[in-house]
Amino acid sequence: MNDEPHNLPLSSGTRPRLAAKARVQTDKISGKLALLYPEGVLLLNPTGAAIVELCDGQHTFQEMVTTLAARYKSSPNSLSSDVAEYLDRLRERGLLELISEEDSYW
Amino acid sequence: MKDTKDTGHAEITSQQMPTSSPQSSVPRPFGLLAELTYRCPLPCPYCSNPTQYPPTGAELTTEEWKRTLSQAGDLGVLHVLLSGGEPLLRSDLAELVAAAREAGLYTNLITSALGLTRDRAERLKAAGLDSVQISFQADEASLADSIAGTPSHARKREAAKLVRDLNFPLTFNVVLHRKNLGRLEAIIALAEEVGAERLELANTQFYGWAFKNKEALLPTRVQLEEAERIAAAAKVRLSGKMDVLYILPDYYGDRPKPCMNGWGRRYLTVNPVGDVLPCPTASEIKWLHFDNIRQHSLAWIWAESVAFNRFRGTAWMPQPCRSCDQREIDFGGCRCQAALLTGDAGNTDPACSLSPYRDVLNRIVDGAQQLLEGETPSSHTTDLQYRINPSHSLT
Ligand SMILES: C[S@@+](CC[C@H](N)C(=O)[O-])C[C@H]1O[C@@H](n2cnc3c(N)ncnc32)[C@H](O)[C@@H]1O
Ligand code: SF4
Ligand code: SF4
Repeated sequence: MNDEPHNLPLSSGTRPRLAAKARVQTDKISGKLALLYPEGVLLLNPTGAAIVELCDGQHTFQEMVTTLAARYKSSPNSLSSDVAEYLDRLRERGLLELISEEDSYW
Repeated sequence: MKDTKDTGHAEITSQQMPTSSPQSSVPRPFGLLAELTYRCPLPCPYCSNPTQYPPTGAELTTEEWKRTLSQAGDLGVLHVLLSGGEPLLRSDLAELVAAAREAGLYTNLITSALGLTRDRAERLKAAGLDSVQISFQADEASLADSIAGTPSHARKREAAKLVRDLNFPLTFNVVLHRKNLGRLEAIIALAEEVGAERLELANTQFYGWAFKNKEALLPTRVQLEEAERIAAAAKVRLSGKMDVLYILPDYYGDRPKPCMNGWGRRYLTVNPVGDVLPCPTASEIKWLHFDNIRQHSLAWIWAESVAFNRFRGTAWMPQPCRSCDQREIDFGGCRCQAALLTGDAGNTDPACSLSPYRDVLNRIVDGAQQLLEGETPSSHTTDLQYRINPSHSLT
């Protein structure tokens, strides 16, 4: 692993990325996005799926919020804390790596 | 902290997950435990595998396993644990991994790591293996090898390094008991040293060989209190670095584990000869017949077979479970444990303090509280009865 997972608070320039051990695929039965990892499975609801799909290490947290706000026609301010909370839950399960602004220059 | 049945089982997260499809009362399964063989190079005395192997039948062939994996994918299974016995003893393992990936499953190899050469590991990587779990017995070779009954600790360490070199996510599993609980701090340090992302501190569950060895393996309450404290501290200290899971010893608790997250609700097990079981230890229930993948489809067995429906839901429950507000949370505990301790799989699990059979369990636990004269638990392994491995006729 080249990037150590970070345990930093989310800042607007942080780029969340799904941990290497996790992957997503469509669930044949429900059509939902399934997040698969060593100890289990999470079936994501549509908003969860939209968030997870943006966790690609490319989008900053701020960009994620802006994109989601446009898609769900809501204001970035009101979405921001919900998205942060969701990401935090993923991070707690070790499913998310947070690449800080400085790291992403390298 | 959490508890679960188990012998390395996928934890399928329950929130955000439908219990059942709206049309039917039969839920869909999410996880498959594929026990590829009962053969094993180690004779661990704590092994939860059955002490009697199926009397008839040969191991499923490569084609039969591939068909099973594909049927599992169609049934909604998203996750497979490739386990055993020792799955590396199947020379077709990489082929089975590829078949599981083809079926849309996340693949997790549960292994002692004996036999994991670089060539083997690379072939598994190429086949699409997602994750590896290696079981250790202790932090250092002399104790580990005496628990494992075979020199193996050094090879496990090398294999762990190999797994990390190939960028597999690594879970470090250790089964905890009287002989190694005192080494917990050092065991955690070893897991860190080998670069595990996840550490499974699994207190022994008393099935199979472990049940046979329970007097020798049961910890003292003092050992457990100390271990819980160490595990809780490690969890905090390692947060964000290594995920620490401490699986509670249910003999010492007040409430049973929600075994398998409910019978026939989330998981199924296919054993080496193709019997399909609601849980890996279900063969402890001697009178229950388990249908075989050679005769029926996985879908039929899951939905229709007598075994899967016998303890599904809550209608089968006796008192006190029947009128208890925990019945949809712990499902009355473990059927196999009820069978082992009370002689009837349909009883409340004695791991529940409300069970009328609780005294059976209390007597066993109380019996383990004294240290023998001069006993330092982890230096005294002469009382272990090692697992006897299946004869070759089964293969
Ligand atoms: C039965 S083993 C088979 C795979 C492989 N031979 C191994 O030991 O890793 C599956 C997993 O269950 C764990 N295990 C075995 N006996 C157990 C017991 N009595 N209680 C809890 N876990 C157990 C092992 O450590 C391993 O992680
Ligand atoms: S004897 Fe040990 S290595 Fe073999 S299956 Fe049992 S737990 Fe795994
Ligand atoms: S009585 Fe039954 S349902 Fe209630 S807590 Fe005990 S085992 Fe669970």
